Amino acid sequence: MYGWIWRHLPGNAWVKALVSTLLVLAVVYVLFQYVFPWAEPLLPFNDVTVDNQ
Amino acid sequence: MRVIVRTVSELCVTVGSLIVLFVVYVLFWTGVRADTVMRDQIDELHRQWSRTAAGGHAAGGPSAAAAGPRTVPYVSGRPFAIMYIPRLGFTWNKPVLQGTETGTLKKGLGHYAGTARLGQTGNFAVAGHRRTYGDPFKDFPRLRPGDAVVLTDGSTWFTYRIDKGPYKTVPADVEVIDPVPRKSGYTRPGRYLTLTTCDPEWGHSHRLIVWAHLDSTQPVEAGKPRALRR
Repeated sequence: MYGWIWRHLPGNAWVKALVSTLLVLAVVYVLFQYVFPWAEPLLPFNDVTVDNQ
Repeated sequence: MRVIVRTVSELCVTVGSLIVLFVVYVLFWTGVRADTVMRDQIDELHRQWSRTAAGGHAAGGPSAAAAGPRTVPYVSGRPFAIMYIPRLGFTWNKPVLQGTETGTLKKGLGHYAGTARLGQTGNFAVAGHRRTYGDPFKDFPRLRPGDAVVLTDGSTWFTYRIDKGPYKTVPADVEVIDPVPRKSGYTRPGRYLTLTTCDPEWGHSHRLIVWAHLDSTQPVEAGKPRALRR
């Protein structure tokens, strides 16, 4: 999977490294901004009330 | 064969990184976000209160004073008070918002809708995170009878004194936020406060409760209450 992505990135090794860094950052951003905030309430840390409203 | 091994190992690396990132998010990032958001909420409250104070002086009429900020209904998801608990740290202060929805509790402590208003007869019940989102009630078990819980709504300081707790119960025990909570030892209607959080620290099998009664009030013009002076 990662090898496939690496082969399909354009340019020489330096450009590839730069583009893959950007890709990683984009994935981390999406995870922190959208995926984790959605997943976190499914875990028990949020249950602090007695009536579970 | 090599392709399979490679794919499986790549998957493992991906899942491992995801888990590490998620732990970083829960342990660290929610706290960073919550601290910023809580500070914003407190700033907003101070702005709101200084506006109200300025408006009151401008109007100057007795009607404005009579109406007062106390009769303004709490709006769901909006802050209306700041809580100080010296036992949890001299600089410990958190905004109190109306409602206990998940999104509301990310921004501060949540006032159970349907329980009494701040300082009124009945039970003013507040929930807060033990862990994550700034860990507001991390040191909840250190609370002891006699500790002060101070709140302000911009016009009045309310000093509550803890009478009982931390009391451990199950999540379905809604009696603990009754106007006269039975297990608290209170027998007559009064001006009470209940704090709830989760127990154990990272779990959700139980709840920790403390109960307090309203000890004293004073207008903000009279300065900070004694419990908050160093």
